[in-house]
Amino acid sequence: MLFNSLDFFIFLPVVFILYWYIFRKKIQLQNLFILVASYLFYGLWDWRFLFLIIASTLVDFFVGQAIHKSTNHKTRKGWLWVSVLFNIGLLGFFKYYNFFINSWIDFTSLLGYEQQSSWTLQIILPVGISFYTFQTMSYSLDIYYKRLVPTKNLISFATFVSFFPQLVAGPIERASNLLSQITAKRKFNYIQCKEGLKLILWGLFKKVVIADAIAPIVDDIFANYSEYPASTLILGVSLFSFQVYGDFSGYSDIAIGTAKLFGIELMSNFKFPNFSRNVAEYWQRWHVSLSTWFRHYVYIPLGGSRVSKLKSVRNIIIIFLVSGFWHGANWTFIVWGAIHAILYIPVFLMGRNRIYMNTVVAENKWFPSGIEILQIFSTFLLVTFSRVFFRSQSITDAFEFLKQIFTNFSFESYEHPLGYRMIDYFILLGLFVLYEYRIRKDERAPFKFKSRIVRFIAYTLVILGMLLFYDDHIDRSFIYFQF
Amino acid sequence: MKRLFLKSGLYIFLILISLEILVRIFHLGKDTPTRFLDEHEVEKWLPNQNGFSVTGNRRQNFSEYHINSSGYNSYREFKPTKDKIEIALVGDSFIEGFHQDYYNSIGKKIENEFSDIEVYEYGYAGYDFADQLHLVHSYKDKFDLIDHVVLGIKFSNDLTRYQYQVVSGRLALESPLNRLLKKSKLLVYSKSIGILDPPQRLVYRLKTMLRPIKPTKKISEQEILRLKKEKEKKYLNNFEKLINTYGFDKKRFSLLLDSRITSPLFLSYLEKNQFNYIDFAPLFEASKKSTTLIYDRHWNNNGRELIAKTISEHLKQKMSKK
Repeated sequence: MLFNSLDFFIFLPVVFILYWYIFRKKIQLQNLFILVASYLFYGLWDWRFLFLIIASTLVDFFVGQAIHKSTNHKTRKGWLWVSVLFNIGLLGFFKYYNFFINSWIDFTSLLGYEQQSSWTLQIILPVGISFYTFQTMSYSLDIYYKRLVPTKNLISFATFVSFFPQLVAGPIERASNLLSQITAKRKFNYIQCKEGLKLILWGLFKKVVIADAIAPIVDDIFANYSEYPASTLILGVSLFSFQVYGDFSGYSDIAIGTAKLFGIELMSNFKFPNFSRNVAEYWQRWHVSLSTWFRHYVYIPLGGSRVSKLKSVRNIIIIFLVSGFWHGANWTFIVWGAIHAILYIPVFLMGRNRIYMNTVVAENKWFPSGIEILQIFSTFLLVTFSRVFFRSQSITDAFEFLKQIFTNFSFESYEHPLGYRMIDYFILLGLFVLYEYRIRKDERAPFKFKSRIVRFIAYTLVILGMLLFYDDHIDRSFIYFQF
Repeated sequence: MKRLFLKSGLYIFLILISLEILVRIFHLGKDTPTRFLDEHEVEKWLPNQNGFSVTGNRRQNFSEYHINSSGYNSYREFKPTKDKIEIALVGDSFIEGFHQDYYNSIGKKIENEFSDIEVYEYGYAGYDFADQLHLVHSYKDKFDLIDHVVLGIKFSNDLTRYQYQVVSGRLALESPLNRLLKKSKLLVYSKSIGILDPPQRLVYRLKTMLRPIKPTKKISEQEILRLKKEKEKKYLNNFEKLINTYGFDKKRFSLLLDSRITSPLFLSYLEKNQFNYIDFAPLFEASKKSTTLIYDRHWNNNGRELIAKTISEHLKQKMSKK
C-alpha cells in the first residue's frame, strides 16, 4: 500500500479511529491491533513475504533473550552471529543472490572460463527487506553491547519490527527509541497529532509535486542520454537530485507524521541535506537513520576515529562501500559509495567532518554568506555528480553518461517529454528551495509560522501545488522501495 | 480527539473554499456549456454561450469558445443563401474544436484559403454518423442551400448504429445533480486531471468484487479475425441503412476520414459506389510535427492546419470541375 494512494487514505483514518476509540484501554490490545494493521498494510502488497517478517521477528526475539540470559561471552557472540547471519542471509538471498552469481560469471569469463548463468533465479525483492532486517539486527546488537534489555513481550517486539509507518522504507529505528515507546502506555495528544498531519501534508507535497513531477524528465534524460547535449544531461542529474530527495524525504515525513498520529515519535531521517556545507555535513543530514546505523554498528565497532588515521580512513571506506552496497545489488551503488568515501576522506583528514554538526546554514541570519553559498553549491554539485552512478542502470551507462557530458559540451533547450512547459518546473524548484531555506532550522515543523493566516495560506498553496502538478499517468511508487 | 476532528474539518472546508476561489481566479477548470434537445430532437449546445475550454493541469491548453445561435461552436452565424458559397463541416468534437479559439477554427482556416466562402461548423462532441445525417435531414431547408457538406467519420466509432435515437447518456450530463457538481470549478478541474479516477476505480473494484467471477474464454486468432470481419460488415450495413433512411447527396456530400484507421472493406465500398471522400492520412503521415494535443488525441493547431488544407484542396478540385 503506497502512502500516496487512495487505499492508504482510507486505511489510515480507519486504523486511527479504531486505535484511539476501541483499543485505547489496554496497551496490549492497542499493540496487537497495530500489528494486525501493519501486517495488513504489508500483506496487501504481497502476503507471502509476511512470513519473512515474521521469521525475522521470531529469530531476533529469541536470539535477543538468549544473548541477554547468557553470561558467557562466546555464547553471546554465537547467538549474535545467529541473528546477523539469518538477517544478512535473508538479504543476501533475496537481494544479492543474482548479483553474486552474475559477478562470479563475469569474473570467471575475464579469466577465460565461459559459464552459463543457469544458477540465477527469478527472485522478487520483498519490499522493505533492507529496512526491517537492519532494524531487527540492531535489536540483537544493542542487547549484545548491553545497551538494551530485551522485551519479554512478543507482540510488542513484533509491532516494533513491523510498525507500518516505517516498515517499508524507514526510518530504520533503534529499539531504544521505538520499542520503549511501544511498550509504554500512550495517550492521545492533540498537538502531536496536529504536527503529524502537517508532516504528512508536507511529505505528500514533496512526493507528489517535487519527486513525481520531475520523474518523467529524469527518466527521459537517463533513458536517452546518448541523444542529449551536456546541458540536458546536467539538467537531468540535477533534477534527479531533487527527485530522490523529494521522494525519500517525502516518504520519511509521511512516516514520521503517521507515527505521530499513533503517539509514536520516530527519528528524523532528513535534515535539509541540500543546504550542507561539506560532504560530512551532508551525511549528517541525508538518510540519518541509515548513516547512524552504520556509524553505531559498523564504524564504531571497527574502531571509528579512535584508531590511527590510516585505520580510520579504512573504516570510512568500509562504511561507504557497505552503505552503497546496501542500496542495491549493482556495481553502480558500490561506485557511488566509493565516490562518497573519496569526497569524505579529505574533509575527515582536515578535521572538518564535525564542524557543522549542530548548526545550520546562516544560523541566526536571514541570508547565507558568500562563502556559505559557495560551500552549499559545491557540495550539491559533488553529491549530484555521484548520483550519475546512483541513477544509471550500469557502470557502462554511468561512464557513457559522464563521457557525453564532457565530449558533447553544448547547450540546447530541453523539451518536456510530455509537452509540459519546463519553466513551470524551474519556478517550482526555485520556490521549493527558498521555502526549505526558510524552514531549515526544524525538519519536523514545515509550517512553523506565528500567524495563523500565513499558516493557512501555506497549507492552501501546498495543496494547490499538488493540484497543479498531479499527473495520473506517472508511476507513483517510491524510489527507495526497490532498496 | 473531538477538537482534532472539528479543527481538521474546519480547515478542510476553508481550504476547499480557498482552492475553489484560486481555481476560478486562475481559470484552471473548464467551462462547460449547457446541452439541449431542440424541436427536431437534435442534440446541440444551448445557443449564445461563451466560455473557456481548458485541458490538462496548469492550463496546458486554454481556448475560448462561442456557441452561436444555431447551437454550435463558431464565430459565424449560419445563414446560408443561394448567392454565396457555403461549406458545412459536420462531425464530432474534432470538428467542434473546443481545443482551439473559436476564431481560429478549422472553418476559419478554410475560409482563409478562399476569398468568398463561408464555413459552418456543425460539430458536437459524440456525434456519430446517425447524429450527423439526422441533423442534415432535420435542417434540410438550411442544408439544401449549402454548397458542400463534409461529414467527419471514424469507421470504428461512428457506424455502430443504423438508426438515430437520442443518446440519453449524453443528456444525462445535464441532470440537476451534474449541473450542480459542475458549478464547482475545483471539482471540474480535479476530474479533468484525473484526481477523481482513483475513487472511481475503487468503486469499480468493490463492485467487481461483489459480482460472481465469470470464466474467461480464450478466443483464437481466427475467431478474432472472424469477429472483426463481422463487425466491419455490420458497420457497412449500418452505413447503407442510414443513407437509405436519410439520403446522401453524392454530388454535394463528402466524407472526411483517416484511411489508416478505416476498414479496407469500407474504403473499397466507397470507391465502388462513387462516394466522395477526403483522406487526411497522407498529410498527417508526412507531417514532422505532432498533429495531436498532449493530453488527448484531438488535433492540435498543426493537425487542424493540415485538415483545413486537405479539405480546401478537395474543395478547390471540386469547384474547378464545376
